[in-house]
Amino acid sequence: MQSKLSDIELIEQTLAGNQFAYADLVKRHQRFVFTLALRFAKGREDAEEIAQDCFVKAYRSLASFQGQSKFSTWLYSIVYTTAMTFLRKKRVDTDSIDDEGTFVQVESHESAYDTNNAENKSRSYYLNQAIEQLLPDDATIITLFYKGEQSLEEIAQTMGIETNTVKVKLFRARQRLKEKLERNLKHEVKELI
Amino acid sequence: MNTIEEKLWNYIDGTCTPAEQEAIARLIEEDELYKQKYTELLVLNQEFAGLELDEPSMAFNYNVMEAIRADQALAPLKSTINKKIILGIAAFFVLSILALLAITVSNVQISGNPFSVVNIKLPANLKLPAANAIFNSAFMKSFFVFDVILALFLTDSYLRRKKAAKEA
Repeated sequence: MQSKLSDIELIEQTLAGNQFAYADLVKRHQRFVFTLALRFAKGREDAEEIAQDCFVKAYRSLASFQGQSKFSTWLYSIVYTTAMTFLRKKRVDTDSIDDEGTFVQVESHESAYDTNNAENKSRSYYLNQAIEQLLPDDATIITLFYKGEQSLEEIAQTMGIETNTVKVKLFRARQRLKEKLERNLKHEVKELI
Repeated sequence: MNTIEEKLWNYIDGTCTPAEQEAIARLIEEDELYKQKYTELLVLNQEFAGLELDEPSMAFNYNVMEAIRADQALAPLKSTINKKIILGIAAFFVLSILALLAITVSNVQISGNPFSVVNIKLPANLKLPAANAIFNSAFMKSFFVFDVILALFLTDSYLRRKKAAKEA
């Protein structure tokens, strides 16, 4: 059962030495942090490692959190920085999303699911599939905007860019996601025929 | 120049000015293309909002807290290492080496010209630049300016590092 205390109250209790309060804070944010990490890592193990690293880093510098922004915004900026460092270390190919190679690779990966009955696949399945095919930055902006309850200003703070840039990036990310979704659905319909 | 889609997304997100909001609302009512696009984008917006979050493994929370405990266990060990002790040991060794060197040098007895065995003759037509030409006042001044700039740069980077360490 999750605590009913606010993030700030849990932080205060953690700083006073109550580690259970921090465990509650982790429980509250772990799904979102893990999802964000997954946008970069594309593998559950690596994503868990990134997410765990983020929570440890956040714990270490919890005293420096001054409450000027939401705790989630502060935490997501740690996730973004850690995930970017991970990407740099792993040298993951972040070429253009229009790169056919990327698409073919994802298609072949997903072909394992072809044995599933297409009827069982909901629209949200295709949406998740499409978001996996986006560049990490695009997927992050979409996730932060729709699931992180973050305003454009907060996303800008998290990603360390201008609000107007976020606005433009969000528009482009939505367009790309729409294209991917349409392409995947078209591909599935062709296979059914 | 904003495209129709860009305008409509701004309208849906509520990030345009009240005047723009009003103008777009009118366009949606009157223009069939705007109306069609708006309906399409609204459906997409609802779908995007319905994105599902992934769940980490069951042991995730436990693993995080264990990692924090391990991190904390290492912290006291770090803090017990006093820099002054390390500097003291280093100073002791440096002084010992200097003292040994001083004793060794004072005990060495040099008789005659030690370099007399080696007879080096420079070529007769070799012209060495005069030391005065190199170490003129302009050269020395620029050397000192360079030193001062270097010292300022190093002090600045040292202070920055110290400040960053304090803030962390």
